[in-house]
Amino acid sequence: MTWARRLAWLWLGVVVTVALSVPYLPLPYSPAVPDLAHIAAAPGSTRHWLGTDAQGQDVLANLLFSTRTVVLLTLPAAALAALLGSLAGSIAGFWGNRLRVPLPYWLVALALTWTFLRLPGEGYALALALLAALAIIMQRRIRWRWPAFRLPLDTILLGSITVLGAVPRLLLVVAITSQGITATGLIALLALLAWPEIARLVRAQMQRVRVLPFIEATQVAGISSSRLWLRHALPHALEPLRTALPLSLAALIGLETTLSFLGVGLPPTVPSWGRMLAGARLNPSSYPSAIYPLILLITTTVALQTIATIPFIIAHKYNNIKQLKTS
Amino acid sequence: MAKQWLWRLVQTAAGIWLLASLVFVLSHLGPVQGADVLLPTAGDLNTAATPGSFAQREATRRAVQRRLGLDQPVFYVSWQSATDTAGGYWRWHGLPNQYHSWLLRTVHGDWGTSLSSREPVTTQLWQAVVYTFPLVVITLLFTLLLAWQLAEQLAARPWWQPLMQTALTGLQALPLFAIALALLLLLANPEVVAWFPPYGLGQTTPTDVGWGPWLSSYAYHAILPAVSLMLSVLPAVTLQLAGALRNELAQPYTATAYAKGLSQPQVIRRHALRNALLPSLTQLTDLLPTLVAGTLVVEVVFALPGMGRLLVQAATTRDYPLLVGGVLLIGTARLLALLLADALYKWADPRIR
Repeated sequence: MTWARRLAWLWLGVVVTVALSVPYLPLPYSPAVPDLAHIAAAPGSTRHWLGTDAQGQDVLANLLFSTRTVVLLTLPAAALAALLGSLAGSIAGFWGNRLRVPLPYWLVALALTWTFLRLPGEGYALALALLAALAIIMQRRIRWRWPAFRLPLDTILLGSITVLGAVPRLLLVVAITSQGITATGLIALLALLAWPEIARLVRAQMQRVRVLPFIEATQVAGISSSRLWLRHALPHALEPLRTALPLSLAALIGLETTLSFLGVGLPPTVPSWGRMLAGARLNPSSYPSAIYPLILLITTTVALQTIATIPFIIAHKYNNIKQLKTS
Repeated sequence: MAKQWLWRLVQTAAGIWLLASLVFVLSHLGPVQGADVLLPTAGDLNTAATPGSFAQREATRRAVQRRLGLDQPVFYVSWQSATDTAGGYWRWHGLPNQYHSWLLRTVHGDWGTSLSSREPVTTQLWQAVVYTFPLVVITLLFTLLLAWQLAEQLAARPWWQPLMQTALTGLQALPLFAIALALLLLLANPEVVAWFPPYGLGQTTPTDVGWGPWLSSYAYHAILPAVSLMLSVLPAVTLQLAGALRNELAQPYTATAYAKGLSQPQVIRRHALRNALLPSLTQLTDLLPTLVAGTLVVEVVFALPGMGRLLVQAATTRDYPLLVGGVLLIGTARLLALLLADALYKWADPRIR
């Protein structure tokens, strides 16, 4: 680990610690309450250590609480996106379009959809489920071969990635959040927009891993394909997350700050770096107070990029293995 | 290949339609509806239009809803929530609903009227595109030229290569609005250096002052926005192209070219670059929509009266017809980018023809 990576990890640790502990810190002022006696105070002149902005709000408190907002929004969103993306990408990369699903399982899916959408007539769904259970028992016990239909997982994944990418995500977020949105809703929306990138990378890696000799060996050993996917292929297919997760986190931080800068999304009372920078846009004479959020934003994204650049040897591990195999 | 591209076009078109529909339906289901945007509030000075009692206000609201067609159901089906006597169920509304009529009108080219300005959406978008389109095209051209030059220089491995690489990666870490804001606060700020105007475009039109002065004023106002847009997309394009060039320079045919006695610039320009350009053409399909989305930010920062600012204003004032129109228009820009990249691909790679 180089010193740059150590420094980056240290900085990110500090950011997360501050974000989680800020409500318990003994700050002299709270973020939203303006101190009308000291408007646009210079740093260090009063008890406001970093001064106040044009509304008389304490810059330090705003900065720390904004860090909390950013971390609490983007970290869960990135985690959710990583989970969704690696699941979808690894499944599509492992089975491709080749998975054939027997008829009874389609019936189960139909019954589940029926119940989930609460379509009229619960009796039909129940009958379908019973029928499917009977069919599965027949298949297991007396080896009855039901017709199987292809499930084009890969096409479905690529199609949904194309659909989500049809409109730039900034525009999409702006359009959808115009109605006002809760924090949970925003996290879900950010995750929805961030998973395709991760899914694409994991899918490509899974396609590379799937043809490696050890997978073939495991297949020969008679292990079921779902177990093979979970225990043997998935750990290797998640390799791109090392790079993709920090980068998608950085992209989400950029997106979130852009949203709050534009004044879209969460209500204006929620402190955020973007909102502080928007204040500097409206009031150019108070530009020094824009420097702090800008510095935090830059350092955090650069730190994320630093931990995303991985050593050459790891990056080329699988390429080398593949070349060994083909040569 | 042609079939694949056609398939991708169809998918993208379907995606645009789906996302526009999603925005439409969500905006009509939310707590704040079109009628609320139009209703006069207590702040309005026109007292004649401000109804006094609650009943009068409700009547006006209903009249506005009927005029806009908002009294119809939003979608073909809706979920009736459970009551004391019966559980929830799906209700089928049939064809007379807001979504259906919106779809029919949109297909016929009528994109509705803006709620806040009460002008047709197409007119408003068109007026704004006049400012945005030159900005995007100029930025695109300059980005490509600069990226090409930089990548060529970088591939030759000069002494400043690591420095440049670091600078570009650092630049890539910055969100567009931070770049734009930094430029604004440094170069268009009376307290630091006021070389460029921070706002002011769009107060005159070409018909007022003539085309010459208008164009020069446009160029003057558009420099900083264009530069910030360019800086935000330049690293990705340059790093990608330089990487591809380095890959190509490691190929055996490069050694052959050197062995023939060609100089390094000749090898790069005539042999490696042509092959390295192919992946960049694919990147172009993303670049154009990214630039268009970037105008949402730079036009707000530099107060340009273009499409980006129009859409952000539409979002903050909840002007849905305008928003949906924007989604459709930018989606169309992506379709065009796909077609353009396809044509360029065929031109650049004879194997596809």
